[in-house]
Amino acid sequence: MTEIKHHAYLFDATRCIDCRACMVACSVENNIAMDKTRIWVAGIGIKGEYPNLERGSMVYHCMHCEHPDCMSACPVGAYTKAEDGPVIYNPEVCIGCRYCMNACPFGVPHFDYDKGIIDGAFIDKCTFCPQRIYNGQEPACVQTCPTDALEYGERDELIVKARARIAAHPDRYIDHIYGEFENGGTSYLILSHIPFNELGLPDLPAEPISEVSEKVMEMTIPFALSWGAVLSGVAAGVHLYNKNKEEKTAAEENTEATK
Amino acid sequence: MKLNLTVQPRFRLNFRPLVWVLLALMGIAFVIAMIRFANGIGPVTNLSNAYPWGFWISFDLFTGVAIGSGAFVMAAIVYIFELKEFQPLLRPSVLTGFLGYIMVVVALLVDLGHPERIWYMMIHTNHTSVLLEIGICVMSYLTVLAIEFAPVIFEGLKWEKWAHLLHKFIMPFVILGVVLSTLHQSSLGSLLLIEPTKLFPLWWTPILPIEFFISAISIGMGMIILESSLSSLYFKRGLELHLLEKLGRAVPVALGIYLLVKFVEIFIAGDAHFLFTSGLMSLLFWTEILVGVIIPMALFSSKRIRQSANGILISAIILLVGMILNRFNVSWFAVQHADPITYLPTFMGNNIHYWPSLSEVLVSVGIFSAGILVFGMAAKYLPLFDNEHPQHAAGD
Ligand code: SF4
Repeated sequence: MTEIKHHAYLFDATRCIDCRACMVACSVENNIAMDKTRIWVAGIGIKGEYPNLERGSMVYHCMHCEHPDCMSACPVGAYTKAEDGPVIYNPEVCIGCRYCMNACPFGVPHFDYDKGIIDGAFIDKCTFCPQRIYNGQEPACVQTCPTDALEYGERDELIVKARARIAAHPDRYIDHIYGEFENGGTSYLILSHIPFNELGLPDLPAEPISEVSEKVMEMTIPFALSWGAVLSGVAAGVHLYNKNKEEKTAAEENTEATK
Repeated sequence: MKLNLTVQPRFRLNFRPLVWVLLALMGIAFVIAMIRFANGIGPVTNLSNAYPWGFWISFDLFTGVAIGSGAFVMAAIVYIFELKEFQPLLRPSVLTGFLGYIMVVVALLVDLGHPERIWYMMIHTNHTSVLLEIGICVMSYLTVLAIEFAPVIFEGLKWEKWAHLLHKFIMPFVILGVVLSTLHQSSLGSLLLIEPTKLFPLWWTPILPIEFFISAISIGMGMIILESSLSSLYFKRGLELHLLEKLGRAVPVALGIYLLVKFVEIFIAGDAHFLFTSGLMSLLFWTEILVGVIIPMALFSSKRIRQSANGILISAIILLVGMILNRFNVSWFAVQHADPITYLPTFMGNNIHYWPSLSEVLVSVGIFSAGILVFGMAAKYLPLFDNEHPQHAAGD
């Protein structure tokens, strides 16, 4: 297998038959209970009027964003973005504030609500199966998928592939690869025949949504220093002014007294 | 000069039953907190993967920090602008701020998944995280408030020298305190900057931090009025109505600026069409604006109302209710999480519509009771209301 520089998934909603084998595969591979699955398949039911019926389902796990908002938000830096794609969560430093869950526009990180502090309550999310992809295998969900609705490979190649598929069946696909640019790009690319927001995917700009708060954070220290200087200046100014005034009144009183 | 620092027992009101009620509430909160530590957050709260933050964050963090703003507003007035006449209001507001922030921290310890790791914020720092900034600021500000309040304790212990020494070097701490307050009051708004897809557009704006800071100033003034009035009622002491009246004059100005900023932003951002068309969200927005801004602006503009003890107290309460609604809106009511039908399969057992459980509320109530109890004890045993000793004013 050729070495992959940027791991990515491609999900094709037109191929998904809602069989949920990927969920089972993920649970088995990562040894997690089914009710804490890191991947979930959301069937959105049948749409349209007979005879133009459509059904859709969306396979959904961590998008492995290029600019992860969870990583931007986490106060203790529990998330890292590997250069070759995966977004990795480190339970060793997590303080359990759940800000990452708020920050993620896709609602991916999940929390152990049923564990006390002795068991340790942590965040959980898709890891990109590092134990597999760095050993030349596909992630568990991809390998299991019977219809190739989930594919895995080099991000650039997957984009080319997706484009070709749209070009070959323009009637079947919406002419857009979700995740190519959304939120600054993700490593989970999606093709679909029904509008992406109906699949539950938010409309996101190409600019990562963490951009605004990161800019604000950059200004914090310069702002704090100048604000401190301004306040000290004001305090000193007011103090001098008051002192002067006091002295003046004192002097006036003195002259009046001597008169 | 010899000062009589022993506080005469001023309690006409029988304090005992109240103390027992407060202690009982604290006990309940303690038990719930223990269950939470043993069994997890799930069993005692309605928080879920869809709603990771709920009542504790809206009430204890957002509201708690907001109502603690009286401390920095008062410190700025008395020390930086040297309006020494306001001195009598300083100590109670610093204490309220101090207790308020301790309550914030205690509540967060219950809410965090790993409370024992809270100090990790100091060693594993992620500089793009707004929450980190808030954490660091709150921790440092607590220290500053402790220093600002220490003279009162020293006086209570009759360590006059220490109290005096601290007074002398108080200025750098005051300025640090105001800077830290500015930072974290505004950062509380910045927390939501990363949720443009979740927070309703009437509230989400890149200038959320600025709006939060401006509103914190009026909340601070409201809190000062509230706590002076209430403590004068309960502890049967004189009310500095002339000072509150003066303070009240500034409220419409602060609120006016806030209103202007808020609406200009909404129109520039092109969100104006949401003002009347978004059902519950429009209703929440207008309630918040009317109760928190427009009505108090009108009330505080009237000299007659400002000069009446009841009038100014009620105006302050209205202002606070509206502003607290704002904090709840921003952190909870107007936050719409991802569409649950497609996001969370029902078998995952998440409740999609979040409403706090009784135990969540009881924990907050218990922590709040502890704050009230400590305030009451401080009022009894420490020279908290030093209007009888104006000559001992700080900064002399
Ligand atoms: S819950 Fe853990 S991983 Fe998520 S933001 Fe908080 S500390 Fe970071």
